[in-house]
Amino acid sequence: MSNTPEEKMKHLDEMTLLLYIERQLDRARALEISAHTQECDSCRTLLRAMERESRLLTRAMLEEDEPLPSRLAQFQERARKSMQWIWGVAFGLAATGVYAFYTEYIELWLKQLETAGFGGTNLLGLLIFQGTLWKGWQSMITLLEVLAMVTLGGLAAMFFRRRIRRGSALALVFAGLCTVLAMPQGASATEIRHEERLTIAKDEVIHGDLYAAGGRIRVEGTVEGDLVVAGGDIEISGHVLGDVLSSSGNLRVTGQVDGSVRCYAGNLLLKGKIGRNVMVAGGDINIDRDTKIGGSVTSFAGHETIDGHVGRDVLAMGGQVTITGDIQGSAKIRSGELIIDSSARVGGPIDFTSDNAPQVSSGAKLASPVHYEKPKHREDYHNVHYYIWQVIWTAAYVLFGLVLFALMPKFSADAVKAAVNYGASAGLGVLVGFGLPIAACIACVTVVGLFVGLATLSLWYGSLYFGAVIIGAVVGQWLMGRTSELWPLIGRMAVGVVIVRLFTIIPHVGWVFKYGAAFWGIGAISLVVYRRFQPVIAPSVPSAPYSPPLPPNTTVGGAVPA
Amino acid sequence: MNAPGITEPTEAIARARAGDAEAWGELYRDYAPAIFRFCRRALPTREDAEDATMEIFMKLKAKLVQYDATRSFSAWLYKVSANHCWDMLRRRKIRQDKETDDLENVPLEHPDPGQLERLIEQRTSAEVRKALDKLGGRARMALVMRYYSDMSYDEIADALGVRRAFVGVVLLRARHELRQALEGNAALAAGGTS
Repeated sequence: MSNTPEEKMKHLDEMTLLLYIERQLDRARALEISAHTQECDSCRTLLRAMERESRLLTRAMLEEDEPLPSRLAQFQERARKSMQWIWGVAFGLAATGVYAFYTEYIELWLKQLETAGFGGTNLLGLLIFQGTLWKGWQSMITLLEVLAMVTLGGLAAMFFRRRIRRGSALALVFAGLCTVLAMPQGASATEIRHEERLTIAKDEVIHGDLYAAGGRIRVEGTVEGDLVVAGGDIEISGHVLGDVLSSSGNLRVTGQVDGSVRCYAGNLLLKGKIGRNVMVAGGDINIDRDTKIGGSVTSFAGHETIDGHVGRDVLAMGGQVTITGDIQGSAKIRSGELIIDSSARVGGPIDFTSDNAPQVSSGAKLASPVHYEKPKHREDYHNVHYYIWQVIWTAAYVLFGLVLFALMPKFSADAVKAAVNYGASAGLGVLVGFGLPIAACIACVTVVGLFVGLATLSLWYGSLYFGAVIIGAVVGQWLMGRTSELWPLIGRMAVGVVIVRLFTIIPHVGWVFKYGAAFWGIGAISLVVYRRFQPVIAPSVPSAPYSPPLPPNTTVGGAVPA
Repeated sequence: MNAPGITEPTEAIARARAGDAEAWGELYRDYAPAIFRFCRRALPTREDAEDATMEIFMKLKAKLVQYDATRSFSAWLYKVSANHCWDMLRRRKIRQDKETDDLENVPLEHPDPGQLERLIEQRTSAEVRKALDKLGGRARMALVMRYYSDMSYDEIADALGVRRAFVGVVLLRARHELRQALEGNAALAAGGTS
């Protein structure tokens, strides 16, 4: 260097020059630097070089040297498309369901009705309650089950979609799967069997639970735990010490079940001894003369005959109920027909709701006469009480909405906005509106448990009302304009709810508005829940403050421009 | 301090906050290229930058409610990005102990201006970017925050977890590292005169 040591001492150090360039020095110091660089060639050159260095750095960094990777370019698009896929599935499922329902049932019934010479006057009653026409239980259940399973699978996929990106999570999932697969081979108390023709022989004992599936299943031996079984034709002639959970075409229980029997079945024949309760949905249910049920019977069936002994109460809904046996408790029956035979004995009161009067044999031993009530099918538009109740209901809706909007302002506002996304919310509404209760009902009678099922069902039921309130807010916004503030939104909700309720009381088509609004709303709520479920990365942990000692003779700080 | 060619997207932010997917997509399309480049400069590999960009935007979705609309959106966005990238680097222990020592021994000397001038003149933007790859995590991060996203000394101090008074030291040290990477000239990088 050409500088002498004396000159060098007067030169500005690089740190000071950097802070000068970066405008970090106080005004007085900056003026000093400015004056010095006017006179000192070396410092001026260094200052310019450092400024050029800054510019070079900025240029090098800002230059667009590579395009946005396609993974990133498609990131948003993919997220949008994946949603479209879900809507596609929702609409596809709904369309398939409607088509299948029409071709499998409606068309068939219409033909049968025509041949039988029935008019269309009480078509609904016939369709629902006439057991002879209600032969499609099994396939109906299968269809609904598929729908529900797709819903559950879809939700699980949504939940895991982001998580499986990470190798560790993937490993965890695989490990879990392997564990599940390895379980049957282990010394576990649960046994899983899957054969086309499965027979548990008479002398065979299953020490624990048995999960069985197959076309034809015979349980002649003993199951010391629960029996969970699915199949076309099932007969339990052995002894089950736990509960029986079954989904099948035909189920015959001729043996002994110490716990409860919960099942779906096209045809159910109970001929043995059931220690606790029976909960069943099916086409034909026969509780045979030799049957002894320790607890109560809850049933939904086309035809039901109770010929055996029921230790407690009976709750039956269906087409035709015939009682020829012995019921120790009360009976609540809502069906097309009720026949009480002379051999029947009922220990408690009998409540019967139907269009048809019960046929009670004079020989029947009843604790009290049958309390018979005709259901009301039509709203009484001439009665002032009807309108008073409508006003009360509307007020209740508004109050309900007020509470929910006040409790969850952000969620409610989001749901209202999601509802404006018509296609998505209506599609999801169809999926969740139908799928969730089915999934919940399945949960009630399967291994998942009654509690989960009932909780889900209650949540769904509440959401229907919340959904209607949300749609009220949407309607209110149509009329009074959009708002994002809470109280104006509540005002719009109140106006909208009144309008929606007015539409729901229109004769014949009111129910379309009622359920349409509820399902649309439930779709909007589900959409918001889905968005909330998107994984959120934990906020960054603040860096630990690092404070090294200040280098000697360094002037830093002060943001006054030079 | 906007992403190039972009004015403040006040309306889109308000809509995105309210859960409007279209508005969110709009913000993503406008800002993702700038954020990707930020991450690309700050992180060692292209894959890291891609991952970080996606994660930053997912994080933003949740954090958007915290954004103060009176302040610059892109400044806030860069702040979130810087925190995310620095966290990423810290988790990988890329910040070396050596870097902490550097801060204590910054030479306050007057380097040969001619030599620095020649170095700057001879180097292209592409060479500078290549040299950036050789820098330590903190040095690189500091340069990117200052010269790419124009963050203030306060913001840099906050992101790196150093006292504000030391931001200049970190930046100067980073420049020395960069010069060293560009030239391999230890004397110049050390800031000493020859």
